[in-house]
Amino acid sequence: MIPLINTEGIREKLVIKAVRNIRKNFKTKEEEGASMYREGISLDLSRSRLLTQSYKETEGKPMVLRRAWGLEKILEGMDLYIQDWEVVVGSNVSSPEGLFFGIDMNWRSVKRVCDSKAGRSLLDDEGRKELAKMSEYWNGRSISDIQREKFSGDVLDYWKMSKGAPVTWSHWSHLGIPDYEKLFKLGVKGFIKKACDRLVELDKTVPLDYIDQKEFLQAVIITLKAVITFANRYSDLAKKKAEETIDPTDKKRLEHIAKVCAKVPEHPPKTFIEALQSFYFIHLARSLEFSSLGIGLRFDKIFGPYFDKDVKEGRITRKEAMITLQLLWVKIHDLGLIYSPTLSSIYGGVASLQAVTLGGVDENANDVTNEMSYMVLETAKLMQTPEPTIALRYHDYTPRELLSAATDVIKTGVGYPSLFNDKSMIPLMKNWDVPQEHATDYAISGCVYLELPGKNISNRAVGGIILPGALLYGLSQGINPMNGEQIGAKTPDPKTFKSVDDVMDAYLTQVDFFFNKLCTIDNISKSLYEKYIPRPFYSAFLEGCIEKGKDTSSWGYPSAISDICIVIGPTNVSDSITAIKKNVFDDKKITMEELLTAMAHNWVGYEDIQQMMINAPKYGNDDDYADFIAAQTQERTAKAMMNSTNRFGYPCRGDGSGISGTYAAGSIMPATPEGRKAGEPFADATLSPVFGMDTKGPTAVLKSASKINTTKTHNHLMNQKFLPSALEGNMKEVFIDYIRSWGDLNINQIQFNVVDSKTLKKAQENPEEHKDLLVRVAGYSAYFVDLSKGLQDSIITRTAQGF
Amino acid sequence: MNKNIKGIKEERGVVFNIQRFSTHDGPGIRTTVFLKGCPLTCLWCSNPESQKEKPQLMVRDIKCSGCGACLSSCPEQAISFSKKRKRIINWEKCNNCFSCVDACLYKALTAVGVYKSVEEIVEVVEKDRIFYENSKGGVTFSGGEVLTQHNFLEKLLIRFKEEGIHRTVDTTGLASLKVVKKIIPLTDLVMIDIKHLNSKKHKEGTGVGNELILSNLEYIAKNITTWIRLPLIPGFNDDQDHILKIAQLATRLNVEKISLLPYHEGGRAKAAQIGETFEQEEMETQSDEHLKRLTDILSKRDIKITVSS
Ligand code: SF4
Ligand code: SF4
Repeated sequence: MIPLINTEGIREKLVIKAVRNIRKNFKTKEEEGASMYREGISLDLSRSRLLTQSYKETEGKPMVLRRAWGLEKILEGMDLYIQDWEVVVGSNVSSPEGLFFGIDMNWRSVKRVCDSKAGRSLLDDEGRKELAKMSEYWNGRSISDIQREKFSGDVLDYWKMSKGAPVTWSHWSHLGIPDYEKLFKLGVKGFIKKACDRLVELDKTVPLDYIDQKEFLQAVIITLKAVITFANRYSDLAKKKAEETIDPTDKKRLEHIAKVCAKVPEHPPKTFIEALQSFYFIHLARSLEFSSLGIGLRFDKIFGPYFDKDVKEGRITRKEAMITLQLLWVKIHDLGLIYSPTLSSIYGGVASLQAVTLGGVDENANDVTNEMSYMVLETAKLMQTPEPTIALRYHDYTPRELLSAATDVIKTGVGYPSLFNDKSMIPLMKNWDVPQEHATDYAISGCVYLELPGKNISNRAVGGIILPGALLYGLSQGINPMNGEQIGAKTPDPKTFKSVDDVMDAYLTQVDFFFNKLCTIDNISKSLYEKYIPRPFYSAFLEGCIEKGKDTSSWGYPSAISDICIVIGPTNVSDSITAIKKNVFDDKKITMEELLTAMAHNWVGYEDIQQMMINAPKYGNDDDYADFIAAQTQERTAKAMMNSTNRFGYPCRGDGSGISGTYAAGSIMPATPEGRKAGEPFADATLSPVFGMDTKGPTAVLKSASKINTTKTHNHLMNQKFLPSALEGNMKEVFIDYIRSWGDLNINQIQFNVVDSKTLKKAQENPEEHKDLLVRVAGYSAYFVDLSKGLQDSIITRTAQGF
Repeated sequence: MNKNIKGIKEERGVVFNIQRFSTHDGPGIRTTVFLKGCPLTCLWCSNPESQKEKPQLMVRDIKCSGCGACLSSCPEQAISFSKKRKRIINWEKCNNCFSCVDACLYKALTAVGVYKSVEEIVEVVEKDRIFYENSKGGVTFSGGEVLTQHNFLEKLLIRFKEEGIHRTVDTTGLASLKVVKKIIPLTDLVMIDIKHLNSKKHKEGTGVGNELILSNLEYIAKNITTWIRLPLIPGFNDDQDHILKIAQLATRLNVEKISLLPYHEGGRAKAAQIGETFEQEEMETQSDEHLKRLTDILSKRDIKITVSS
């Protein structure tokens, strides 16, 4: 039994660290000058300090052990805190206002942020001095320094993005989900035993890579013991606080914490709260080992049974469990981290892509919905935090009540839950050779990152590809128009194109070419990751690592599910190709040369041609002319991308997680053939119509999207904007029917932005009064007032599909 | 395919809009097909472009780029430019030939009303079948006054009955009983607009008395599921007394539902776009409190209601 805490004002406990998003696109001087981070937020240096110390002490030792000792030092030495309301405890920083950062990954841009006006408030002078000092040590040692050093030739140029190629490599987007189910069965001690047993076995078999395996397993054991110490330190702290407090309720709370932390994660949890605490320690240690993102786990499937049992045996009431969840939400929301300015503009703010998964089927195709599913939705509705977001798995037997509860959360405008369709996700994974019993257990982290809990896929996002950029290179023979350099593949002169097929071929050649470059960068990087930042702690919880004696980065789950690349603007590409087909080849209204000239002038003086291109059929209107090309474009793009493979020989693939990158990418791209002007954003998701081009309403959009076959492409993202009135009263049932139809159409994903433009305009004018207004920006939720003016405008003007 | 059906497929009517994802024109998710032409002349008409049966020119000045392409396309010299390069239509001269519509790349000149065959309409409506099935929705025919094109409507209803799609007809009820009797058996639901129960007032507002409408309502309500729609016109028919009477009528006729349509000024701008003047002086929509008073009257009598916005 936990002491009941007054939940009034829980939302006030939220520490909002959000930065102003998309820095690059601030339009005014004031916006640029305003501090990027909210007042009182500071950069937390404790992890960096301890890791630096450890690195200095272990120079010359095997890397996997150095990483393990590093994590050990952090877990044993970090300052801990327990706030006066916490039930589940733990943090990856040493104060509630701290902002996490990984000095071992990339210190340069973070230092730049802290030295700049925008990030000045993050450190005081002393902190700034300390950071500078530590940076000196990491200079040459951080993973991005090592890349700088190891890359050579044009790989270096492409990596630095200095050539204007439409690809961006992104470091460190590693997600993945530890095997919590096994953890709860064995406890950490069970994993330690497993590793010890393997060591004994090793001495008997002495395989060729004996030393590597041995060091890895030793590292695993060090980190696993360290996380137990970490938990015990919280237990001691709680005990001490309990002794000091005179308030009997508080004493009870702290004693409970002390008891739980003494037990988990070392031992298997028995109660709901123990299970939560066990999960949370592993989650934290994982992010302290390596700045990883996301949660992903199937929350109801995993925690539901613990809650049910507690209730049955009288250990907890629903009300108490609800409070615990709300307080946990506060903690998860606190896990914000700092990014480089570029990544800030892609991810938006400090989002650490924490998402949990609900619903879906189990391995026997039964629906997993339980009371916990509803409780999580209720918590989300009460808390309305940008993180964690919720992914709801949908299938034919998803209860209507669950959709109804989900609709209530969507209606608040937080932008989640986003819905994932088992009916197309599971067949998609089958196509990628994922066995059925693994596929049915899929979960979502980040925005649409596909995960297999406990399997060795850390979903390595290799970066992003701006597909309209590839199209432009296809129309310029691979030459960068800015400087005349041959950047892309040498495709034929567009003036010689005889049909739209030639356009498509040139485009696909460029996709293949650039994606190959990107994968080369990634493969090199990943071998650097393997050598310089192995992850023994995380590996312990992945099926196969302890067994093989191998780190997660040394081998891969045998499927295309692992390595992904964010694709930006596929519908802009297909609308472009459609418009070229219509005006240049079918109706012959203009020549390719005229089109290229008009585009080169950003349509200025060529408005009639621009208008012609805009008037061509567009994807999103259930018009087969445009939709056929859209399907072709997406399928063939996906296929071209799968020509490139990861280090283990499995194809890399596209992925729908565009995040706000569609906005940032658009801002640097010249005019494109569908009529878009230079600098305008691209469509906000891989299945979304180009802004303002869908005029036939939300059913037509879904129909168009359904023609793009998920199983022949990849997992997509689809945004639909509705006014709140569409989800209220009588309309709620209609909205659920709309979702059911989406499911029947086999579209793999959908998420809703629910807010009326009047509210948005008001928020833009009086940001002070609308600090809490959340909107969905492509893949994640962000505070509207924190967005740049340009992005705000684009959200306001996006077609509001009212009823 | 029998001859009869073939004839149906070729039948054409004037359609001024096909609205997918309609959720206020009957149950579920629907596609509403708007037929042009109306015998009433309501002062407040929110779709003045629906009144005449023939297709007509409609302008959208906000989209006009001032490019001038339309100028030379007009055989009647009905288009000119003001000193400020604003395109002006001389509505007197315009004979709705639509050459300018083709010339305008900016969609600032459009034809409202297109001749469409039954099959062309079927093709569009069919597209959302999956949504109708999930939501118990279907197709709704609205106007103007749909019964003006009753022969075309009849063919459409036969065709959609054959397709197994739920059919709703949204009518003002102003047609001969013969026409009504022909149409009703082909529908699943009729929504009938009632503007005023007092014939004199009705004539003031709409140009015609309400006798025929009310007698048709009696017939319709007896023979098919019926909803009453009440466009709320400030100071004309939105007083509590009038709503009470409507409620009594609805109860007597066993009407399934009443929809209240709060007033909006949508017609004013559209009238200007087709070169007409909007007679109704400016009015404000009903306040939430007033709407609440009206819905209370109805819900007290156990009548199902919806308020469309
Ligand atoms: S053609 Fe269209 S856009 Fe050009 S002036 Fe005429 S109405 Fe305006
Ligand atoms: S529709 Fe009217 S304005 Fe347009 S070209 Fe014909 S006559 Fe001239």
